[in-house]
Amino acid sequence: MTTHDQAPPDGPVAPDPTLLATSEDQWSRVHVISPLVRGWIALLAIAFFAGRDLFEGVLIGEESPGLSDGGVRLPWTIAIIAGVVVLVAVGFMLSWYFTRYQVTEHHVRVNSGVLFRQNRQARLDRVQAIDVVQPFLARVFGLAELKFEVADAGESAVKLAFLKLSDAQRLRATILARAAGVSIDPENPEDIQEAPEREVLALQPGRVIASTLLSGTTIFLIFGVAAVVVFAVTLDAAAPLAVIIPLALGVAGGYWSSIKNGFNFRAAISPDGIRVRYGLLDTRTQTVPPGRIQAVGISQSPLWRTKGWYRMTVNVAGYGIAATGDAQARATLLPVGTREDVLQLLALVLPNPGTSEPIEVFTAGMEGRDSIAGFLTTPRRARWIGPFEWRRNGFAVTDTALLIRSGFFWRKLAVVPHERTQSLALHQGPVYRRFGVADLLLHTTPGPVSPRIQQVDQHTAWRLFHEQGVRAAEARRRSAPEQWMRPVEVAAATLMPPVPSYSDRDSREAPDNHRGEAHEPHPIEAHDPHPEEAQRAPTDHLGDTPDGQR
Amino acid sequence: MRKEPIDPDGLVWKRVSPKYLTVRLLGWVVGTVINLAIFSIPLVLVLTDVWWGFPPLWVAWALPIITLVICVWRGILIPRQVRAIGYAERNEDLLIRTGVFYQRTMVVPYGRMQYVDVAVGPIDRAFGLCSLKLHTASPGTNASIPGLPGDEGARLREQLSARGEAKLAGL
Repeated sequence: MTTHDQAPPDGPVAPDPTLLATSEDQWSRVHVISPLVRGWIALLAIAFFAGRDLFEGVLIGEESPGLSDGGVRLPWTIAIIAGVVVLVAVGFMLSWYFTRYQVTEHHVRVNSGVLFRQNRQARLDRVQAIDVVQPFLARVFGLAELKFEVADAGESAVKLAFLKLSDAQRLRATILARAAGVSIDPENPEDIQEAPEREVLALQPGRVIASTLLSGTTIFLIFGVAAVVVFAVTLDAAAPLAVIIPLALGVAGGYWSSIKNGFNFRAAISPDGIRVRYGLLDTRTQTVPPGRIQAVGISQSPLWRTKGWYRMTVNVAGYGIAATGDAQARATLLPVGTREDVLQLLALVLPNPGTSEPIEVFTAGMEGRDSIAGFLTTPRRARWIGPFEWRRNGFAVTDTALLIRSGFFWRKLAVVPHERTQSLALHQGPVYRRFGVADLLLHTTPGPVSPRIQQVDQHTAWRLFHEQGVRAAEARRRSAPEQWMRPVEVAAATLMPPVPSYSDRDSREAPDNHRGEAHEPHPIEAHDPHPEEAQRAPTDHLGDTPDGQR
Repeated sequence: MRKEPIDPDGLVWKRVSPKYLTVRLLGWVVGTVINLAIFSIPLVLVLTDVWWGFPPLWVAWALPIITLVICVWRGILIPRQVRAIGYAERNEDLLIRTGVFYQRTMVVPYGRMQYVDVAVGPIDRAFGLCSLKLHTASPGTNASIPGLPGDEGARLREQLSARGEAKLAGL
């Protein structure tokens, strides 16, 4: 949230058990002015078109249809516009009235629809991410939208638009606490404390703007303008110069979306996961619980190399792939950051790097080339396939993740935790066969990161293909439970663990503390009727999500 | 099955039904006839003097001939393509390989399968075949085995579901 002065700030908020429904019939509605906030664009559009017609009519005088009959039709026009506005408003009010939600111990349910009723239900422990979004107008009213994401690649399972900001935050804390497996005793709600949060990183507006100006968009602009000028000069005509206008508009749009999504970017860590906030006019707070990040991509465009900046993107099952700017912003873990910032955030995503020299290995992945720090590159005999990037192409395996390095001009590094690999494929075409190399693809959930080890020696590729399958299976067996705090030590849950960092060996083990293996009794007992089922429910990992009677 | 450089050692691939070759060839014949018919239209029009001069006669002849060459080439490849399809069940995962020129070997861990599709089309049914497709949480997993005998498809589906349930982990 950019509003620093706003009380309460969007900081840690205690889970509030009173938000959980106690009976099947206890339903809530979203805030009463939501229809206005949701419908204002429609109203504005009507006002704009109607107003423009009238306005132009006044300017042109008798020619306009609205005034052509000497003012006779003017009252009708106004009446029709008013009627449409009322109809739209009534529509939004009805939709508000018929939308009700309920959060129980295990599920979140939403009933909506006036004519076509829709009942939706999602399991809390299947949460992949929770967003609290404040579009500009909602911010004016102090409202926020809560988005509950499950692994169905794109569409939000549950959207509550709009709640009071404080309510949305408390609801988020409650849902995350429940999803983490912390149960709340309605008698003594004070027993459960807020999940503390520690800020890890904040971006200065100066860096956001500078990074935008040095981004790939600028390179595109330079090449575009150069092409246009060359055309104009060789053809000796001014016509190609007209292309500059759409080009400039596109570039300005790119700059704007990059600045507004990087503005006031802050990342924090809490036991509930990684939390990022950003936004200039619309603000967004995203929480990704531990273990929900499927793959991390680190990239560097050519101009950023001069400043040593990187960008981090993530694949999260609930976010999906949409090409819109919003979706891209959602999948961005760090819009711009130095190597240290990247390492810091990597330490949050991958608390155990699985190597004794994480800084060396990740740095080699980000900016190195050739076979250093455990990286294996394209064999020399295949250098003609990729004359520039063959020394960059490569991979390294640690105990917990696979690092995939590629790109000469646009440097890229993909990090995939072993337990998140879905399936693997080896590809080899005729040219690759001639050079004895192959590509190895790792399939992850939809997102901006698509890990592909390029042009690796075919025997190495096959060995990795085989070993990676074994490693992934092993890592899955060892991986943390879906409910990341269950069972949990109350002290560990409420005390903030130190922020993990690769440069400090002691704190590297820390994030495991709050996952605890302890089974000793304590006030907060996770009581789940079917603990085994909850963790290892066979078929419903994806299928269960927005199920119910859709 | 021929051993390719990217094939693993010590693995016995199961092949799809030989009848699948017939299905593919049938499809190929139909496709070839349709393609030839479409690309012969200019030739017919030129020869019947509906269009003169355009396109030049050699272009009108070249179109169907090139089409025929491409189709025949693809037809020659079909038996090899069908022979190249193989799958192997291992303890933890299923391996699938396809392709002659562009070879692909894919491994899908049982614990990663979200669901298994078995599809039977009308022509498949006439030959007693079915095709099986595995889905994981990744859209990149394009793991399908075409041309399985019906009972083998059913057996594989049951086997995969059972193993998937036993090994399933979270996302």
